[in-house]
Amino acid sequence: MEKFDLIVVGAGPGGYVAAERAGSLGKSVLLIERDQLGGVCTNWGCIPTKSLLNSAKLYRHALESEKMGVRAESVTYDLDAAMAWKQETIETLRSGIQFLMKSNKVAVVMGVAEFVDANHVKVGDTVYEGSDLIIATGSSPAVPPIPGHDLAHVVTSNEILSIEKLPASLAVIGGGVIGVEFASYFSSVGVKVSIVEMMDEILPMMDAEFAKLMRREMKGVEFHLGCKVTGITEDGVSYTDAKGNPQQLAAEMVLMSVGRRPNVAGLENLHLDIARGGIVVDDRLRTNVPNVYAVGDVNGKSLLAHSASRMAEVVVSNLYGAGNQRMRYHAIPWAVYGLPEAAGCGLTENEAKKQGREIVTATTQMRANGRFLAEHGKRAAGLCKVVADAKTKVILGVHLLGPYSSEMIFGAAVMIESELRIKDVKEIVFPHPSVSEILKDTLFAIEHTL
Amino acid sequence: MATEVLMPKQGNSVESCIILDWRVKEGDPISIGDVVCEAETDKSTIEVESTAAGTVLKLLFAAGEEVPVMQPILVVGEKGEKVAATTAPPEKPVDSQDATATVASVATAEVPKQQPDPVATSTGTAGSGGDLHISPRARAVASAAGVDTVTMVPTGPKGRIIERDVLEALKGREPLSPAAKEALVNQALQAPAQGTGIGGRVLVADLASAGAGKSTTGQLSVPTDFPGPVSEVVVKGVRKVTAKRMHDSIATTAQFTMNAYADASVLQSLRARFKSSDPELGLQKVTINDIILFAVAKTIRQFPYMNSHFLGDKMRTFEHVHLGCAVDTPKGLLVPVVKYADNRSLKQISDEFKRLAAMSIEGKAQPDDLTGGTFTVTNLGAMGIDTFTPVLNVPEVAILGVGGISMRAVEDAEGDFTFIPHIGLSLTIDHQAVDGAPGARFLNALCRNIATIDLLMAL
Repeated sequence: MEKFDLIVVGAGPGGYVAAERAGSLGKSVLLIERDQLGGVCTNWGCIPTKSLLNSAKLYRHALESEKMGVRAESVTYDLDAAMAWKQETIETLRSGIQFLMKSNKVAVVMGVAEFVDANHVKVGDTVYEGSDLIIATGSSPAVPPIPGHDLAHVVTSNEILSIEKLPASLAVIGGGVIGVEFASYFSSVGVKVSIVEMMDEILPMMDAEFAKLMRREMKGVEFHLGCKVTGITEDGVSYTDAKGNPQQLAAEMVLMSVGRRPNVAGLENLHLDIARGGIVVDDRLRTNVPNVYAVGDVNGKSLLAHSASRMAEVVVSNLYGAGNQRMRYHAIPWAVYGLPEAAGCGLTENEAKKQGREIVTATTQMRANGRFLAEHGKRAAGLCKVVADAKTKVILGVHLLGPYSSEMIFGAAVMIESELRIKDVKEIVFPHPSVSEILKDTLFAIEHTL
Repeated sequence: MATEVLMPKQGNSVESCIILDWRVKEGDPISIGDVVCEAETDKSTIEVESTAAGTVLKLLFAAGEEVPVMQPILVVGEKGEKVAATTAPPEKPVDSQDATATVASVATAEVPKQQPDPVATSTGTAGSGGDLHISPRARAVASAAGVDTVTMVPTGPKGRIIERDVLEALKGREPLSPAAKEALVNQALQAPAQGTGIGGRVLVADLASAGAGKSTTGQLSVPTDFPGPVSEVVVKGVRKVTAKRMHDSIATTAQFTMNAYADASVLQSLRARFKSSDPELGLQKVTINDIILFAVAKTIRQFPYMNSHFLGDKMRTFEHVHLGCAVDTPKGLLVPVVKYADNRSLKQISDEFKRLAAMSIEGKAQPDDLTGGTFTVTNLGAMGIDTFTPVLNVPEVAILGVGGISMRAVEDAEGDFTFIPHIGLSLTIDHQAVDGAPGARFLNALCRNIATIDLLMAL
């Protein structure tokens, strides 16, 4: 029987990063994947959607750039070419991961892992032994049993990435990140899109005033908030609106994006403690079974690719590295790559208030920012909001809406992780002109003094 | 002509410097600008340069001594020249303990009237009233980093902690976040060597109250999402005393609890009769607890080893019983003591305990009322507690916990089961002083006496 220091099941951003880091520390590592290297992130999530969204943004810019002096005629959107570009991106990244595994001497086995016990995993007829086991099996789109959920035109984020023809209309059930990004993409390329959301607002992690602006800016999308879907038919979606009245919505395609479920099937032999959200872990990602760890979506703690990678690093560091690391969740940035883009890190104003903290906040408009104005004009929407502790002025949260938000937000993570105060960040020099200066302006809006 | 080299002034705030190391010795030739010694202020380490040329005639201080600024530290002159009497060094170098004594005496009179020589006086002002075992600079570094200096290994002259000792102790410590640093300066907090932030950075949440490391509660904080608002109250007053006494109790004794049930039928009927008795007898308010106190006071006379204090190297056994009884007051737990409980009748115990309990609850109990116990009773029976593990009121060797009354099945002579009310009794003993069997004998006797409380009252 082949023996390894570490067996990792699932090759997404949790699993392959764990394998890579452990391999680079000289450990013998086996990585088992049932489908594609890179997992959902590379193949059906982060990456393909960014590829498509970028093509949609280019298309929109081409249509709208006349006022800036660029006159493009007969601009069309070619779905086949966009899909081909997306596919090439995926394959390049996939082979990149393959190369990473090879260069870190990680053994990769493609197949479905059967968990024998905490130290043995079987793939096909072969049993492998590992001293430690990392479960990184990820999550899958949740499909609630709404009448009609199994109709052919009802898709999840997986199938919608390989459509061959744009539908005339799309109903998106669920206004979370996935729903909003697809809504943004499809509406940008000319599809009539409606979002039906059960809650009173889209994007629950977003500051309330930002979500409102986001909706206003997604001009081609119709929002039905506080609505509960009651059924899906060949022609569309029926739901009850906020007032309890039954309504109909015509749609050629229906995207089910109401959340994701942890992939915990097949783990029975390990006798893991599994809650509704996923495998129960502590802040070192340890499960109730010694030597078994769970990272990424499967533990339900933070369903983000970068969270999964970080969790993997915490586990590998504690096992083979400098050790003594804990997963911290308070400064994990998130981003929505729609049109417009948005990103955030740390507490929103509401969350801070719910925690009983005394806070100070300021919100500034991006149109006061040089680069933003030059590139987008004074009508475009852009906001920056900072939440800080009222007494210590430690930065607790940063929220952005506007271009480059996702590229800037890491700075907020650094500030929050380092527990920097407003006056500390004031001493940091930001490049000019850049949209990032909006953050410094917002800090000064809270604390004018030097 | 001999010239004095002075300890230079280092800005406005530095009042004195410690001579770390002499670079010259008596008899050495010296020029202006030569380094004569290294000295430490609370802000930096400096090199003191000579302001005179010639030969070093006399070093006026030993390394490690603290010298006020603008005081002469050495005398330079021509070779063989005599040092003037006014600049003669003190006969004996003042060691740190003497210096402490001197500081104390100087503190009462700022300018001593008798000044045999100025140098001796100036050494007396060393430390400006602070802790003489740490240099001001070392103290400043330590407090900025929030480290406890008690555990540091001093390598400075005369066992003093100097800057390098603090820096040594800081090795391996992770940096503080700016906010944590600020919190340290403003509050009496201490930083752990490693925090929960990036790279082990110490965050505000990781800071513990100064001195908390020595208690049981001040552990390194772990990152936890506390639900909702959190309030913090400084531990003081009765809570603080209780915390210390409870911890001392657990830490210094070998506690061992045994549980038993006493037949409470007579107890209950007696209580019922008191309640319905002639008001003029004044017995209506006698409670179950009073009766238990009475039973304990009577029983313990037969078991003197239970009526003792364990003092480590000796045991003190008392003839009379000063019986403490725990009272729940708005301020927290208080234990008033019924003095000479063994000499009192049930009514007297009842009256005295009521008086003491009322004063405790009102916050008017005198220290004498709350000390001097030889045995303690604590009663949670009224709150529906069956049995529990009372914590010893050290140095007493035993404490009785009284539980509630509940029905227990008892087999009678005919083999039938009947339900009889029983009261739960939990006796914690200090196994250092009393063994299990003697403890059990006492508890057993107490159970019997409670079961036949009517007879006990005749004794």
